[in-house]
Amino acid sequence: MSSAREWSDDAGALRRFGLALVRDDRFVFDDAAGCALIDKLFRQASLTLVERRGVDRRAARVRAFGQFIRLYRRHARRLAVDEDGGWIETPPSNRGGGSAAVGVRGLPIELRETLLLVVLAGFTHREAAEALDLPLTVVVDRLARARTRLAAHMAAARDATAAWPQSSHLRIVK
Amino acid sequence: MTGRADPAETFAYVDNCLDPEARSAFEARLQAEPELRREAARWEAQNRAIRAAFGAPPRGALDLGGASNENGVRRFGEATRAADGAARPFGQAQKRRVSPPVAEPRSAGLGATARRLAGAVALAAAVLWVGLPSLGPRPPAALLAAGAAAARALADLPVEFVAGDPAALAQRLGPRLALAPLTAPSLRLIGARLAPGSQATATLYLYENSRGERVALMVEPLDEIGRAPARRGATNGLSFAAWTGAGYGFVAAAREDADVAALVAAAGADDEFLANAGAQRR
Repeated sequence: MSSAREWSDDAGALRRFGLALVRDDRFVFDDAAGCALIDKLFRQASLTLVERRGVDRRAARVRAFGQFIRLYRRHARRLAVDEDGGWIETPPSNRGGGSAAVGVRGLPIELRETLLLVVLAGFTHREAAEALDLPLTVVVDRLARARTRLAAHMAAARDATAAWPQSSHLRIVK
Repeated sequence: MTGRADPAETFAYVDNCLDPEARSAFEARLQAEPELRREAARWEAQNRAIRAAFGAPPRGALDLGGASNENGVRRFGEATRAADGAARPFGQAQKRRVSPPVAEPRSAGLGATARRLAGAVALAAAVLWVGLPSLGPRPPAALLAAGAAAARALADLPVEFVAGDPAALAQRLGPRLALAPLTAPSLRLIGARLAPGSQATATLYLYENSRGERVALMVEPLDEIGRAPARRGATNGLSFAAWTGAGYGFVAAAREDADVAALVAAAGADDEFLANAGAQRR
């Protein structure tokens, strides 16, 4: 029974990670499209968890998350029009959800997936490197860049919120 | 050692990737270096913000303030352990443990059997006078804690699945979580989101009352759990009720007690609800 619960927990974490990763305001704008894409990718990636159920939880987890990321990259690559094949910067988001959510959505995909894997899915740096098939140093470097960008975004959002009442209040005309 | 820390080490610390020795060494550095402490706190705050923004449970234990018996038992255990393990002046605890048993002086009046009998009678009288505690089935404390944490952290976030139709919403959530949510006349169903339950992934159904406040109902599939009536509690400005049945645990949470009561009443009034839930589960 415990393995069933672990599987269920991992599946929930994978779904939550997927929802955070996929809603990027670039390829997926609304919740319905996000859910449809998540369902498709989640079904494929969770098969890894089912197949490896009870064998090695950590390895199955790393494999399933890695699989999900690869599937999402493939999906995004199909839609990307970038001729160089590199990732395009996500345009600034105008959707709600708090400055952290908007800031994460605005990160380039390679930074976003690394940050979410570590912070949201609770992977260690080593596990993240394994899931992303990257050297550990690259993962740490991406984390540093993602965190610095996000911190700058959140600080700017805070400043804008603080400045808002002074800059845009309506003048009372008697 | 002072100066700017290696960012990789700080990230490893805030992401909980250091082994115990390295962690304690880093914590010692944190004590000595305020700048490093500020930096680590900054990244930790950012981690918390990300987790909250995407609906992940916050790290750290939830204090329910004695809302359940199991919590009380746990606290009692902790208190006992702390008292036993704590250093006492003059080594009194050790003395008590290692001292040889002292032969009791034989009492002149009552014998041992009579004393035990008198004790049992006194205990029975005390129980009858105070009133029997509720010994019936109770929903697990962990379920209530998970429901409270989910309601507190996730209820005000946007829903993941938007639907006003309970059946459509249940179908959307897949086979394990496909349980049509309760409907109460005073509450409007907005949608649902996934939430960490006490043991497995749960569904957090979100409603809105007439004042536009959110009301949460967590439904967690729990294997081999019996039926337990609703148990009410309140902490930090939120009212809760938890109950179990048909292989599911339910936790209703709202700011107003009346909204929780409406969900509990809906579960109680709908006799076929748990039977249907059991059938859906099978």
